[in-house]
Amino acid sequence: MKWDEFFVTGEPLIYGAMVSIVLASLAILFGLTYYKKWGYLWREWLTTVDHKRIGVMYILCALIMLFRGGVDAIMMRAQTAAPDMKFLDGQHYNEVFTTHGVIMILFMAMPFIFGLMNVVIPLQIGARDVAFPKLNAISFWLFFAGAMLFNISFVIGGSPDAGWTAYFPLASIEFSPTVGNNYYSLALQISGIGTLLTGLNFIVTIMKMRAPGMTLMRMPMFTWAVLITCVIIIFAFPVLTIALLLMLFDRVFGSQFFTMANGGMDMLWANLFWVWGHPEVYIVILPAFGIFSEIISTFSRKNLYGYSSMVLSMVIISGLSFLVWAHHFYTMGQGAMVNGFFSITTMAIAVPTGIKIFNWLFTLRKGRISFTTPMLYSLAFIPIFTIGGVTGVMLAMASADYQYHNTMFLVAHFHYVLIPGAVFAVIAGFHYWFPKVFGFRLNEKLGKLAFWFIAISFNVTFFPLFFLGLKGMTRRTYTYSAETGFGPLNMLSMVGAIGLAIGFIILVYNIYWSTRYEPRDKTGDPWDARALEWSTPSPVPVYNFAVTPKVKGRDAYWFSKKNNEPLSDEKITKIHMPSNTGKPFILGIAFFFLGFFLVFSWWIPSIIAGIAVLIIMATMSFDRNNGYYIPVEEIVQTEQKLRGDTV
Amino acid sequence: MIKQLFPIKHVAGYISSLVLSAVALVVLLDMPAASKMAILFVTAILQASVQLMLFMHVGESDNKKSIYINIAYALFVGLVTIFGTLFIFVWGWYS
Amino acid sequence: MKIDATQPLEYGTEENRNRIFGFWLFLGAEIALFATLFTVYIVLANRFASGPSGAEIFEITPVLLETFLLLTSSFTIGLAVHAMRLGLKKQMMMFMIITLLLGAGFLGIEIFEFFTYVHEGVTLSTSAFSSSLFTLLGTHGAHVTFGLLWGTAILIQIKKHGLDHSTANKSFIFSLYWHFLDVVWIFIFSFVYLKGLM
Repeated sequence: MKWDEFFVTGEPLIYGAMVSIVLASLAILFGLTYYKKWGYLWREWLTTVDHKRIGVMYILCALIMLFRGGVDAIMMRAQTAAPDMKFLDGQHYNEVFTTHGVIMILFMAMPFIFGLMNVVIPLQIGARDVAFPKLNAISFWLFFAGAMLFNISFVIGGSPDAGWTAYFPLASIEFSPTVGNNYYSLALQISGIGTLLTGLNFIVTIMKMRAPGMTLMRMPMFTWAVLITCVIIIFAFPVLTIALLLMLFDRVFGSQFFTMANGGMDMLWANLFWVWGHPEVYIVILPAFGIFSEIISTFSRKNLYGYSSMVLSMVIISGLSFLVWAHHFYTMGQGAMVNGFFSITTMAIAVPTGIKIFNWLFTLRKGRISFTTPMLYSLAFIPIFTIGGVTGVMLAMASADYQYHNTMFLVAHFHYVLIPGAVFAVIAGFHYWFPKVFGFRLNEKLGKLAFWFIAISFNVTFFPLFFLGLKGMTRRTYTYSAETGFGPLNMLSMVGAIGLAIGFIILVYNIYWSTRYEPRDKTGDPWDARALEWSTPSPVPVYNFAVTPKVKGRDAYWFSKKNNEPLSDEKITKIHMPSNTGKPFILGIAFFFLGFFLVFSWWIPSIIAGIAVLIIMATMSFDRNNGYYIPVEEIVQTEQKLRGDTV
Repeated sequence: MIKQLFPIKHVAGYISSLVLSAVALVVLLDMPAASKMAILFVTAILQASVQLMLFMHVGESDNKKSIYINIAYALFVGLVTIFGTLFIFVWGWYS
Repeated sequence: MKIDATQPLEYGTEENRNRIFGFWLFLGAEIALFATLFTVYIVLANRFASGPSGAEIFEITPVLLETFLLLTSSFTIGLAVHAMRLGLKKQMMMFMIITLLLGAGFLGIEIFEFFTYVHEGVTLSTSAFSSSLFTLLGTHGAHVTFGLLWGTAILIQIKKHGLDHSTANKSFIFSLYWHFLDVVWIFIFSFVYLKGLM
């Protein structure tokens, strides 16, 4: 590593980014000092173990990453908007589509879902916090360290440029000699450990911390979806851990796993990547199914149709998700028997997914539907996602896939699945649960405006890609000539991308506008909703429930409202809470530096950072802080202040 | 004291794990490859069960159902990964 | 903190029970992790290119010694938990120290084995086979190393605070981890060494 290669040079766009990073950091530092907010930041956020605050931090990061990934997307669309564009060169284009993919899946969709999970799950099951609050903070800070490590790559050392799938031999040290793919390996590794710990934490939370009376088959559908998602997480992420480790060994220590000589097998990477990669798709999409189930049921004023078939279909999806991975590389060279097997398992997934679609439709049937912003996203999801699903079945047929493979048709397909399936869901969930966390709703008028922009522009952006793919435009090509005839449809797609950007700007503006002008909600239940989280005052006090609710059936809060029965008749007693701790944050910093030094193969600093990690973990083990108690008077006062009544 | 510190269950588990390791060594003798693999599978699985049942007290926890499901799911994913990969690269490879 | 006196110390509080359950889930993830490493090893085991094959470099004697040490350490950590349930702090610590010493012995032989391979010219970068062998053994060895550090930290805490809900819980979870490493070793013993030698 030469020092003049340390910073990325020669690109005006990157210089601009460097300047804006420095300016933004200075502005934040200055602002914190000027308004004397350092102590507040440390006490209330950096050291917090409160699941709601950790959730808010996840979502904040996800929104920032959505911006970063969105800028990447706009740059790609701009570069391909017309034939022979000179906006980006080939190398820069490669870096942009790589970071777009990684960031959108791993640093936007997943943290957004984790944020909603963190905020909602303990509230939905009537718990005070997650099972291991400190571990939850560690998960967040590991994710954050990984995300930051990945994001600095484009100014320090250079971004990864081998696609989000980082296929070998392209991603090997021979063909990708910059440190870019070291960043890929280490950033994903660090945030992946955080993800695994989140998975463990939430399974224990859901299995062990439910309020009395809430049997498994009485849980809200979002809780079910998260439980099954976490099961997929804990078995899929170890595969990624190993794949990334082997990648790092190949690139840094000269091992021969995925090389072209000495017995190495480049295809093994693709295999391992997708053994994790396909379940990962369901990790992103199952929580979305849960969110839509909550919203559709709430705004149809009906209980969810086919509850047990919903649960069963998710269990089947979780099992099948581990049996389909080879459909990502039908053209690699395995025989017809293999492709046939994986074709059938892939198509089989359409069955449980179809069951879910019909259940949502039957929930809507004869419901008193109110068209709120979250409901609009959910309603738009159904037809758009179905298009994505049907094109998925087309791709699942191995013989036909030889035509579609690596074309824009595939790109259109997975955007049609992931944008309604994941992005619409998290935005809908964001609008839906926002008043729970902050005590006021997002403005409906602005919300609907943003929705229409996003929903229409999404189709304008991605529908043309189906036709471009069928015409033969391959994915990841940075330019094309006018004779190909790809120009007009690409231009149309660019127009859609601008519309999407406008939609997201309105969405963010809505947060600002609503913070200032939207009336505050005193009821805690602005949507007249069904699950337990709405029985708490908003914003939710740190202890969540003054008394633990007793659950007598599904939609417990709804029936307690309708039958005018309180959720619990017990007296308030003192509540045990975990203490804040700064160690998870410090551990995150140590992991960041460990990753950073390893990226550049600086061994001595790496060893020092590694020892620091071990020491911090040891001090955590020796910690004997057992938390603190909130006295009864304080709880009564808080409840009175938030609700304006006596409990 | 000795009896108290060395319960029969643990001693039996220890001896059986040593015996099973010794039995597995017969694969170094001359016999058909298929029977060798069968011996390795049987002894390894028995050994793992000895650890799980006798030493790890898998059945004593009040979550034993969840724990069994968890191990079963882990084995499902692990075996699918191993044999699926072999299916793709060895048995089902185009030739 | 609600304390349940009818249960052994390590299960005594709700948090303790959650931790044990959570650790079982973690072991499920570890099964997936080692299964992936075995996948890589099985696919690459015959791809030794110009380097030596497993049959050429494996030696049965050190492997048998390693197996014996690890099986015995699994036995002694089981005895440690048994002693802990009888409330015998001194004996419990003694069994745990024996466990860690056996673990260190195992690790010493493994390091010696690695040195022998390198001495014979087999390194991480020799062939796909050697890469996958070193990574599989190394990951298991790294787990043992981490276990030695973790076990020592727990011993210090028992010395300091005696056997209470916290230390008993940690010791029990450590025992689960240690037994699990033994299970993984059994599979390495059978499907790496014995299969390679047969």
